[in-house]
This record gives sequence, structure tokens and C-alpha cells, in this order.
Amino acid sequence: MTAFSQLLISGILIGSIYALMSIGLTLVFGVLRVVNFAHGEFLMLAMYGAWGITQVLGLNPYWGLIAIVPAMFLFGAIVHRLIVQPALDKPHLVVVFATMGLSIFMQNVALMAMSADLRDVPPVFAQSVIIGPLYFKAELLLGFVVTLVCTVALQWIIRKTYLGKAIRATVQDGEAAMLMGIPVPHIFLITFAGGSALVGLAACIMLPLFSVFPTVGLNFVLIAFVIVVLGGMGSIEGALLGGICVGVVQSLSGYYIAPAFGQMFFFILFLLVMIFRPNGLLGQKGAANIGMNS
Amino acid sequence: MSFFLRLAIFALSLFTITAGPVAAQEPIRIGVLLPLTGPFAKNGLENWEAMQIARDMINERGGVNGRKIEYLQGDATNPNAAISETERLITREGIKITTGSFASPLAIAVSQAAERNGVFHWETTGAAEIITRRGFKHTFQVGAPARKYGQAAVDFVVEDLAKRLKKPVADLKIALLWENRAFGKSVGDGIRAYVETKKIKLVYDEGYDQFATDMTPIVQKLKDAAPDVLIAISFPNDAILFQRKAKELNLNVAAFVGVSAGYSSPDLRTSIGDMVNGIFVADFPPKVNPNVLKPETRKVADEFYKRYEAKLQRPPAGHAAAGFSAIWALFTEVLPKAKTFQPDELREIALKLDLPEGSLVNGSGIKFTNFDWADDTKDAGQNLRASIGVWQWTKQGNEQVFPPKLATHEAIDVPMPDWNKR
Amino acid sequence: MASFDRASSARSPLIPLFPQWGRVSIFELALILTCIALVVVRLPTSFQDVLLLTYMFAGLALAWNIAGGYAGLISFGHAAFFGVGAYTSTILYLNLGLTPWIGLWVGGLLAAVFGAVLALVCARLRGPFFILSTLAFAEVVRLGALNWVSLTGGPEGLSIPPVSGYANMVFTSKAIYAWIMLSYAVAIYAVTKALEASRFGYYLCAIRDDEDAAAAAGVNPLIGRTAAMALSAGLTGIGGSLFAQYFLYLDPTFLISPELSFQFALLPAVGGLGTAIGPVLGSLLITPLSELLRSHLGNAAAGLHLVIYSAGLIVVMLYFPGGLAAAIAKLDWRRRRS
Repeated sequence: MTAFSQLLISGILIGSIYALMSIGLTLVFGVLRVVNFAHGEFLMLAMYGAWGITQVLGLNPYWGLIAIVPAMFLFGAIVHRLIVQPALDKPHLVVVFATMGLSIFMQNVALMAMSADLRDVPPVFAQSVIIGPLYFKAELLLGFVVTLVCTVALQWIIRKTYLGKAIRATVQDGEAAMLMGIPVPHIFLITFAGGSALVGLAACIMLPLFSVFPTVGLNFVLIAFVIVVLGGMGSIEGALLGGICVGVVQSLSGYYIAPAFGQMFFFILFLLVMIFRPNGLLGQKGAANIGMNS
Repeated sequence: MSFFLRLAIFALSLFTITAGPVAAQEPIRIGVLLPLTGPFAKNGLENWEAMQIARDMINERGGVNGRKIEYLQGDATNPNAAISETERLITREGIKITTGSFASPLAIAVSQAAERNGVFHWETTGAAEIITRRGFKHTFQVGAPARKYGQAAVDFVVEDLAKRLKKPVADLKIALLWENRAFGKSVGDGIRAYVETKKIKLVYDEGYDQFATDMTPIVQKLKDAAPDVLIAISFPNDAILFQRKAKELNLNVAAFVGVSAGYSSPDLRTSIGDMVNGIFVADFPPKVNPNVLKPETRKVADEFYKRYEAKLQRPPAGHAAAGFSAIWALFTEVLPKAKTFQPDELREIALKLDLPEGSLVNGSGIKFTNFDWADDTKDAGQNLRASIGVWQWTKQGNEQVFPPKLATHEAIDVPMPDWNKR
Repeated sequence: MASFDRASSARSPLIPLFPQWGRVSIFELALILTCIALVVVRLPTSFQDVLLLTYMFAGLALAWNIAGGYAGLISFGHAAFFGVGAYTSTILYLNLGLTPWIGLWVGGLLAAVFGAVLALVCARLRGPFFILSTLAFAEVVRLGALNWVSLTGGPEGLSIPPVSGYANMVFTSKAIYAWIMLSYAVAIYAVTKALEASRFGYYLCAIRDDEDAAAAAGVNPLIGRTAAMALSAGLTGIGGSLFAQYFLYLDPTFLISPELSFQFALLPAVGGLGTAIGPVLGSLLITPLSELLRSHLGNAAAGLHLVIYSAGLIVVMLYFPGGLAAAIAKLDWRRRRS
């Protein structure tokens, strides 16, 4: 029983970290209808940035947030202007391959600039939090709280603010929104840049938990894709739910079946959800049918 | 078009015929296949540095019988690229000798391409057993076979740790954790077979995927099994993840023996700090007790360590030292005896080598199998004298602890203090 | 994208100069003759290596294009079919001694079954959802191959003994491999052209361009998509067997890797989707180029060749989205005027 509770709660905690890293992707996915295949490399870049700050200033990585989040917002805006925006009115595959090219580009620039060494920061908190027989890393608990706050805050922005309303209008009907005077290209830019800023946030939370190296994105990008689609395209609470599902499935299947199968079980879960609920767990009806022609 | 091409080829062949007699002064060209990009790049690049130092050192000494060594490099990112790059070096550059390739899957691929083209392959560190089990004639694996890593770890547990833990060997609870790639699986298979001969039962034996991002289920299972000794075969990223998770979930073992790459990398201390102290590592010795080396080898070793540290600001890892040792043996023991540099001739020379342990910079010797190994008669080209020992991370650095002959230090911190007391 | 101008092309009586829907043109014939000539002249072996890889990837890109280009089923999981084909013929050869000449058909058939299953599983998915599902599907196949050790050799992979001979389909001469790969590419080219000329090809394009309208006109989208995927997967599987016979070593992690799947899709995308000539041109350009970059810049600095390659890829995708086939079509002044 102890083992089960430990696995379940650890799965939820790590799953929330996965969710945090995926929220940016789901936002972009939901609003622009594009898959950013360089998402993992955005994470890699932001983690290197946060690592650099800890090295130069000797601060713990959470302080890096102050610089990394705006920097990633700017980076996202530049990438959007140079690569994503020009691809939006072209066939769907263009943006897929353009971002994939960006992913290879960033990986290898990182390799040239930073070498293939693993970079790490020392733990922020010296000891685990102990609750009865269960143990949790304080950094994980903090990540869980940040994810919850972030989800609620984003929901509030989307539901209550003018920007949120404009984003929702754009999602529902881009042309009508344009006619209503909503600057749709700006909404796209802000969404993409905002999504990148969220990756920056996730990177600072993840740095004490994972090493950073040029191909670190590859370890996480498939998880992020699964979470985004599982939760339902563009659904922020869906991403949270999807992340937790992935975390728990990973943790329980590794314990009760075998760790050698790695990510196989949540890929199977993903395919099952796709067969029976093609709109994802919390996606809007018809989301899956938004296809190639849009 | 075909006419001109034939003319060109004819002219080229004339040129090579006339160029024949002066060939003695031409450099000896060797193809170096290492992963310079992609997930293996870190160790591949370290190996490449070590190999370059070896080349510079031999050329400064006047080369091999007056001929300089020249490298041609191939980026063996993954097995498919390894095959393409090997084929390229062989067919386009006319390479007759290849070396490299650090990781087992790459070694399997490179040797496959070399053998098919009848090229001599001198494998420096790849370890999976299958490399020398395919009946190949021209593949020589200078590093140890996977089973040797496992045997070193188990021998250390049986001959040294059991006494320190004050337990009879039969009562020791040993757990085995391996990364599910060619090297991890091969070492794991070796350990499983070897502990059986010692009448030890493993209390835990599982592999995990190389892309694992969460170690919770593994650590939890190990807590349930409560082993005295944990033997783990990992690569750097997952070694770090595992140690952090073990600390988080308070998994305490009396002794931890890591095998190779993940635990022997010098950056492990920069990554996880003092958590490394007390961990044992079964691998090529990064630096052996100098007393076991032959005097001339010791001089070469000193120069290598000095140059490597000057260049990379850190001492070489075991695999880099092994890469240097192997290529240096090629330069000094094989090539000087060659006249035609044809693969068959090189093979004869390699099979005749009979160097005692202590001949190579990292304490190894050389004696290759040729379908005559009592353990496995299918094996050819495997070096039986590659030394794998066990060393320990200490507060100051690292010290060789096993086998006693190479040791510089006695094992300390046995049993290991619990996480909350460290 | 291809257009439905059967009537206009039927008007020109001679063999057209430039590629047209469902017809063989002088340009294509010349291209095939050039490809044959490149094998006949016996280039130095080093170039033959690049040449045969170029042909192999042309065939694989054509196979991918049947699903991705004509039926609109953008798949990033084709490496799974490639792996199924490679493993099947190799396992049959190693365990039962069955010659790969037969094994490759079994491999193709099994890969086709996998393709049909994938199409049925993802029947309701479109766009990014479909793409990501194919990616997940391939990962499941990869992990399956990695863990079914008794069959696939697990992480240590499978090695085919490098003993040459016609029966075991292993050759020392690269020219023979070049012939095999060229035949493979030409055969799939013929299949593609036949598809264009057939009713089935029109069905596929109808499903791709407007599924609801196609269904209303009596075309069953599910059957069309499944058949297209099965055909594409089967041909990819045969390519996998040929690859196994050339490389002689199968490693699950790299054989069934997303990178390889991307490569299959990239070549038609650069060459021109939904055209027969596009994937061929894509492979003729990209395969030698990437080999060239790796061999010339690989020594300069680790990663530089991939930086240049990927930057080029971004520029090409953004500024030449119609691919090389669109550029060729622009040359065809007579058709442009009409």
C-alpha cells in the first residue's frame, strides 16, 4: 500500500511537471493550429539559459525565472516572425518541417556552443519532504504548486481578460474575429511568444530535477505531444489532466509491469484515447477534425 | 561520358603505379569512427581528443618507421550513420584500417561495414559480446568484453565487500539494474550467468529504457527488494537521475557498484556533488597504480595524462584512457611490424601479440582470441587481457580498490552511510 | 499539388515534354535513362554508395507519397513499416534459411497489415492528431522490437553474415545493390503513375481534398484511406528488407527512429507532394547533399554540417513550399499558357 501511494503521488507530481512543460505547446496548438516540433529545443535553450544564470550569478535556478521568462517570450516572438508566421498560409507540412529544421538547428548550435557535456545545478533543498512513510523531493512539490497556479492564472486570463477573449474569438473563427477588429496576426504572435515564455518557466522548474544537454529535448518532446493531444488540443486543464495521466501511467506501469517498456504504455494509452475519444479527454467536440485544409 | 571516365581512371591507375615506390614516405591513413554529434557525442568527443593526442605524440616521435599517422574522421552518430561513414571512408578515401567507435551499437555497425570490405578494424572501447562473435576475421576488440565488466563487479563483491559487510557470500542480497541498450544488456547477461556459477541469487534484475525520465518505479522496487549490494549499468544521464531519485526516496544500500560510462564519467561529481562519494565503479581504470606499468609505458602514460589535462582541464575518463591505450598499441605494436599494411598481414601480426598486463597505458595487456577460447569457441579477435578493475569515488578524487594488484587504496565507507547521515 | 486536367492532357497527342498527371513524359524517361547510365558507367565505388542510397530513398519517398501526398495521410511513423519489413525478411532468413528474395515479399505483406491497422486505428483523426498518432504508433513498434529479445535480438540487434551470394542476397559489388535499389524506385514510380491513371488514384485525391464531398459522391473514405496506407506501408516494408540486405545490421532504436520517419516525409515535401516526380527529385537533391555535407564538414566541427543542413531546410520549406516539382512545372511554358 505504501508503495502504491508513493508511486501514485510521485506520478502525479512528475506528471504535473510534464504538464507545465506542455502548456505552452497546447496554447500554440490550440490557437495557431500548428505543431511546434522544436518545442523540446525551446526547453533545452531555456534550461541552458537558467543554468548559465546559476553559474554566473550563483543564484538558485528559480531566480532565473525573472530573466528567462521574458527572454523566452522575446525568442518566441522572433521565431514566430521569422519561421512560423510565413508558414501559416502554406500547406500544413511546411510549418512541420520548418520547425523540425529549427529543432535540428538548435540542437547542433547547442552542441557547438556548449559541447555535449551534461550540465546540472546543485539541489535547491537539501532534504526530501517526509510525510509518514512517503518521500517527496521539495522541488517536485514546488513544481506541482507552480503548475496549479499557472493553470488557474491562464484560465483566468483566457476567461476574463480582453486578450483572453480575443484569443478565444480567434480560435472560434479567425475571419470573423478579424472583421470584429481583433488583430489576429498580433494574437498569433502573442500566443506563440507566450507559449515560449511558459516553456521558460517550465525550464527553471525542471533544471533542479533534470540534467541539460543538447539533445535533452528529445527525451521530453514526445511526452509533451502525447499530453497535448491526450488532454485535448488547446485545453489547458486538459494538459494538466493529460500530464498527470502520463506521469501516473509511467510510474505504475514501470512498477507493476516492467521499466524496460519505458514510454510504451502511455503511447498505448494515447492510441486508445485517440480511438475512443479522438478529441482528447477534455477537448472541444470536433477539435480532431480541424485538419489539413484549415 | 563513359569514355572520358575510363580515360580518367586509366590515368589515375598510371599515377598510382608510378607513385608506388615513394609510398614509404606517405602517411599511414586511419579511419576514426566516433559519435561526434547526437546523444553519444560527449564520450565520442572525449575519445576523439585522446586519439588526437596519440597521433600527435607518435608523429612527434617521427611516426611509424618514418611514416606519419593521418586520421580521417567519420561521424558515427548512430549505427546507420556509422555504416555509411565507414563505407565512405573505405570506398572514397581508400582507408584500409579503421578504429573507434566508443559505444557498442556503433562498434557492431562499424565492424560489420569494415569486415564486409575486408578492412582491418581495431575497436578501442565497444564491449558488447556480439562484436567478436560473428566469425569476423579482421575485427579486433582491444577493450574488454562486456562480461569482464560484470565479472569484475561480482568478484569485487565476493572477494572484498562480503568480508567488509561481515556476511557470508550466500546470504548477500545482490540487485542488478541495467539500461536496455546493447552494452547494458550484454553486461547484465554476463552478471546473471556469472553469479549463478557463484551460487548467488539476484534479488532484483531488471532493465529500463534509455529515454526514462522518471526513476520512481525502479527505486521503489529496489526499496521493496532491500538489497545489500546494488550493481547498476547506466549511462550518464540516467545515472544522475537514478542517484537523485535514490536520495529523494531514501533508498539505502550497503554498497553501490556502478558499471562503466554513467558512473565513471569525471563530470559526475560536478553534476551530483558529494553524492558520488563512496560509489564503486567497475570500468577501465582511469589511472592505475603506476608500479604495475612497464617503465617506458609509464613515461607515455604521464605524457598522455599531462596533455589531456592541459587540453580539457580535467583528467581523462576510463574510456578516453582506454581509447588512447588501444590506439597507442596499434601504433607501437602492430603497425611497425607491417610491410604491406594489408588487412590479412595486420591480422597475422595482431594474433601474434602476446603482451603481459601492464604493457598498455591503462594497465591492460594484449592477447587476442582466435576461435580458441575455452569459454566460447565462436569468439575471435577479443582481447583477453584488457583489465577491468573497480575504483571508488572518494572525497578527494578517485582511488583504485580492486583487484589488489592494481589497487592504490582500500575500500572505504562500507557499509555506505544512509542518505540522512551524509 | 496535382491537378485534375485529364482532358487537357489528353489533347496533346505526343509524349509530353514535362511530367503530367498519369502520363509518362520525356523528362521522366530522360531521368530514368540518366539514372541507369549512372549505374552502367561504373562510377568509383564511393559514389556508388551515395547513388544507391539516393535510389533507395527515392523509392521510400515515393512509397510514403502514396499515403502522404495522394491520400493526405501525413505519417511520421513509416519507420515502423520499414522496420517490420527489415526484421521480417532478416528473421526468416536467419531462423528458417528462407532467401530474402522471398522474405522481402513476406515483409512487405506484414508491413501492409501494420499499415492497414494504423489507418483503421486512426480512422477518425485528421491533421496534427493523425501525425502525432503515427509517431506514437512507431514508438510502440520500436519498444516492442526492443523488448521481444528472442525474436529481434533486442538492443543488440540482428546481424546478417556478410557472406556474399545470390541466394542470400548479399553482394560485394555495389553495382548490384544499385541495380536493386534502382529497380525498387522505378517499380514504385510505375505504381504511382498507374495510381494516377486509375480510378483509385482519383478517389484518393478526392478524399484528400474534400472528404465529405467525396463521401457524398459515393467514395468510401475509410476503405480508400486504409488501402492507400496499406499499399504505402507494404512498399516501405519491401524497402526495409532491401535496406537490411545492404546494411546487414538491424538496430531497433535507429531502424524505427522518428528521424528516419521524418526523412521519408521530408524528401517528398522538398520535391513536391502528391506528384510522382517530386519524391524522386527530392531524393536526388537531398540524399547526396546530406552525405556531402557530412563528409566535407563533419571534420570541421561537430554539428556544423547539421546546422547548415537544417538552416537550408527551413529556407527551402518557407520559400519553395511547392517543392522542386512546382519549379519544373514552371518550366513547362506551353501548359502554363493554357
